[in-house]
Amino acid sequence: MTTASELRERFEKERAAALQRVNEATDIASLEEGRTRVLGRKSPISQARSGLKDLNDAERKDLGQLANSVSADIEEAIASKRAVFEERETKLRWERERVDVTLPGRHYEVGSIHPLTRTLWSLIDIFVGLGYSVAEGPEAELSTLNFDALNTPFEHPSRSPSDTFYVKGTDEEVCLRTQTSPVQIRVMQSKPPPIYVVAPGRTYRRDAQDATHTSQFFQMEGLAVDKGITMADLKGTLQRFARATFGEDLDVRLRPHFFPFTEPSAEMDVECFTCRGAGCRICKGEGWIEVLGCGMVDPFVLEWCGIDPETYTGFAFGMGVERIAALSHGVSDIRGFYENDLRLLRQFGGMA
Amino acid sequence: MRVPLGWLKEYVDVDVTPAELREKLDMSGTKVEAVHEPAGPIEGIVVAEVLEVTPHPNADTLSLVQVTVGSGEVERVVCGAKNFAVGDRVAFARVGSRLPEMTITERKIRGEVSKGMLCSASELGISKDHSGLLVLPADAELGRDVVQVLALDDIVFELEVTPNRPDCMSIVGIAREVGALLDKELHVPKAGLTTVDIECPATVDVLDVKGCPRYLLRYIENVSVGPSPAWMAARLLAAGVRPISNVVDATNYVMIETGQPLHAFDADLVAEQAIVVRRAKEGERLKTLDGVERDLDPSDLLIADPVKPLGFAGIMGGEDSEVRPETSRLLLESATFDKVSVAFSSRRHGLRTEASARFERGSNPDAVPYAAARAARFICETAGAQTARREPDVYPHPPQRARVTLRPRRTSRLLGIDVPMDDQATRLRSIGLKVKERTERLEVEIPLFRPDLTREVDLIEEVARLLRFDRLPNTLPSGPAGGLDASAIAERTLRRILSGLGLHEIWTSSFMGREDLEKLALSEDHPAWQAVELENPMLDTETALRTTLMPALLKACAHNVAHRETDVALFEIARVYEPSDEKLPREALVLGAVFGGMRKPGDWQEPPEPWDFFGAKGVIEAAFESLGTRRPSAQPVGGMPFHPTRAAALTIGSSIAGAFGEVHPDVCARYDVPEGTLVCEISLGPVFAAVQEKVQLRELPRFPANYIDLALVVDAGVPAARVEELIWKAGAPEVTQVRIFDLYEGEQIPAGKKSLAYALELRVPDRTLTDEEAATVRDRIVLVLRERAGAELRT
Repeated sequence: MTTASELRERFEKERAAALQRVNEATDIASLEEGRTRVLGRKSPISQARSGLKDLNDAERKDLGQLANSVSADIEEAIASKRAVFEERETKLRWERERVDVTLPGRHYEVGSIHPLTRTLWSLIDIFVGLGYSVAEGPEAELSTLNFDALNTPFEHPSRSPSDTFYVKGTDEEVCLRTQTSPVQIRVMQSKPPPIYVVAPGRTYRRDAQDATHTSQFFQMEGLAVDKGITMADLKGTLQRFARATFGEDLDVRLRPHFFPFTEPSAEMDVECFTCRGAGCRICKGEGWIEVLGCGMVDPFVLEWCGIDPETYTGFAFGMGVERIAALSHGVSDIRGFYENDLRLLRQFGGMA
Repeated sequence: MRVPLGWLKEYVDVDVTPAELREKLDMSGTKVEAVHEPAGPIEGIVVAEVLEVTPHPNADTLSLVQVTVGSGEVERVVCGAKNFAVGDRVAFARVGSRLPEMTITERKIRGEVSKGMLCSASELGISKDHSGLLVLPADAELGRDVVQVLALDDIVFELEVTPNRPDCMSIVGIAREVGALLDKELHVPKAGLTTVDIECPATVDVLDVKGCPRYLLRYIENVSVGPSPAWMAARLLAAGVRPISNVVDATNYVMIETGQPLHAFDADLVAEQAIVVRRAKEGERLKTLDGVERDLDPSDLLIADPVKPLGFAGIMGGEDSEVRPETSRLLLESATFDKVSVAFSSRRHGLRTEASARFERGSNPDAVPYAAARAARFICETAGAQTARREPDVYPHPPQRARVTLRPRRTSRLLGIDVPMDDQATRLRSIGLKVKERTERLEVEIPLFRPDLTREVDLIEEVARLLRFDRLPNTLPSGPAGGLDASAIAERTLRRILSGLGLHEIWTSSFMGREDLEKLALSEDHPAWQAVELENPMLDTETALRTTLMPALLKACAHNVAHRETDVALFEIARVYEPSDEKLPREALVLGAVFGGMRKPGDWQEPPEPWDFFGAKGVIEAAFESLGTRRPSAQPVGGMPFHPTRAAALTIGSSIAGAFGEVHPDVCARYDVPEGTLVCEISLGPVFAAVQEKVQLRELPRFPANYIDLALVVDAGVPAARVEELIWKAGAPEVTQVRIFDLYEGEQIPAGKKSLAYALELRVPDRTLTDEEAATVRDRIVLVLRERAGAELRT
């Protein structure tokens, strides 16, 4: 028969022993093994607990509380020890799993979209934002639409076979379009105003190749025909375009010029973005860079398309895409755009 | 058009700086292409006379030239030019003098001392002409500074004259513009001609009045041909024309001044003193002043005498009637010619001259007598000659002055700015138009020097450019909503996905030549041979519009391989062209791609992986998937330019969309690309047509799927697509996904067989399939595969 005081002593002794054991555990496994030893059914503490039933009520209550607190202390010690071990394990795992982050990632070849395509897209997007749609037309085009409809009579030098490609066997009735302007004619013939379109595409001229000329090149044409379209509208539209393309704070000017299919006609100059108008090599000392041709659609052209020039007016403009791409990307020889050299193309892989 | 400012100021008061004048001209539509400032430092160059020319003892191409500047002292220089003679006056750059590019020092040239240099026009910065020395007028005073003699200190404007402005091809015309811009009056000098009572022996017969609306002759006799005075030679040089003789220079001077081309014939070389203006006859020939013997075309307009052609009307005279040093009697032609006729002849013979450049823009019959009189006056003054009072002048149909009505309100409406009526009238008057103001309209009479003004809108343009375009406000029209259509969006998506998959976009020529197709070794009946041929190709290698992108793709590949860029994945989206029954060829958008070298270059983790058939096929499939269209199906295809057993035709639905595969080794060799290079070409029309514009959402499955694997053994020749097709058919409707995960041929299975392993996903919409149900489906599939494809389950 164990007295209450003996039992108390046993609990206290086992607590100390158990805590020491917990403390001596070296890893989670030995800790778990220790837990069975000190708290399991056959543990000294469990055995001591069985002595409680021989005590009177008051003693049993008192020592029962002690027994519980001993168990709780041991559990707590195990838990905190376990947390230490777990943290250590985790740390070891991170070390095992460490990678050298400075090694390169797996290789994915990043392709690219051609600089001319990119330029075309950005030009188109500006005008789409201003309410224009995109129109297309054939590259092998009726000479009537490429020339006659655009007020370019048959004796005009641009029509000569030294300047324009013709399709064999067509008696010069079919040419390779020398401009995207015939798309204007097709659009005006196919639907009544209001018309707001841009027409990008490939064009052909029998020009000798040099740094600024190729016999195949891209143009983008724009056309607006509506009631009450004014030259001020043309000016405002092109100013928007020029600033979006070349820089918001640049000066833009329309300079009178001559085109057979517009009247009044103009060329648009943008302040040289290299020298800001002071004159440099890029702008040949002029301080201005010629960007495109434009004007109010000639009444002759409107009438040719069956549109009454007294009711409707319109403007049109056309630009060379290679030239704009060259200006935007600092390309001095546009033939580079057609060499398809990966060393050049890769430079256009990163552009949004 | 070169305009020396000193010359211009003779007709109009210029009270602004050259920079201000340049800006105003630019903004009026006559662009100043360049401003030639006084040619840098030119100091100490003086007029000298050639005393003696002897050959250089050590060099055949050089001479030793003795010159004097008049003070008695004689200098000797070594000279390479041959175009001068003893007695000529030349520009002598003494030791110590300065030219824009150099300072002159004493030098030994091939062993002979040269104390200075004799200058060409290009060395003096006058023109690009360095073909010989600049020979100065005989009246140039010895020892005088060449800068003063030649007015080299004058600023010269080089103008771009648009093709609609014949009037601006003259100093007077430019002066009229400048007067309008500066609000100054135009002073046109009098012709100032004195005629004498001599008989004009010449007759004029114009047989083609349409080609030659006005023809006037002035007869001049007692001419002594010689150099022109220094002032005239200097102005011609500044204007870019080389002085020749007092007669020729007078005609050129007046042409530049008035815009009216003139030509002087030696009257003694004109048979019967009779001028005939007519079209050329078949087989006729003419030796022009440039020494070229030309075969004439019956549409060439000629100036002739009764026995021979004398010159190309409005373009260039003939050698047979040229003014010679001994010429004493002249017939001076002043005429107008049809611009179309001049343009065609000039182009046909590749002969562009100062005269043709003016006639092509249009001519002014009113200028004809004035220009003739003014040139005759200069010839009389500088060649001691006299001119007859009578001047034969054939001018049967003087044109009416055009009258054009301008509604000033229309101007304001078209320009988008209110321009008062009187302002419009003032601006039109400032360029020499006669304007009457009526109610709500202006009646404008157009002088003959402005043939470009025929309609109201032409006058609106004149008002607008004189007002300056920068006065217009910047406004935007109120357009509808814009946007890209479905195929434009699909095209952009395709370019983006292909570049995302590692391909680089290229643009190549639309042209091809026969050789391109020959190198592909296409069969005779291959449709690519049916090409749209060009009438006038620029190169033998680019004679037709291309029917296939393959040659260009292979060339682009070869270009990069040659530059040691051997890992190549390129694509192009462009048009091909084929003849059609319509007037215009058919144009179709195609996607082409070329793959070669490594798909993955290999790195510290993975071995390198070359582009192969399935690498390329994966790109094509991913591209189609990105468009939301069905994957194309592939069937083996034979025939060039492909590898006989590694190429496929691609079909969408029932139509063939394209082909791809390894390029035949022979073709690789011909295009200089490595064996194993792959190409693909797909028509995008049918692809884009199959693009779903709007995605309709399918409900997500609510019950889990069941998965089974199927390992089959079939004859090696059975296509995988056939097996997959049968799985779909037999497994319907439960099978929702079929994925091949293994292909095996080898020792484990009988020879001539292959093993294919598939992972299948099975589901029904309303519940989870039990394993028993899945097994039933599997048995159903196996049964069909056994019957239809001879397949056995692999054990």
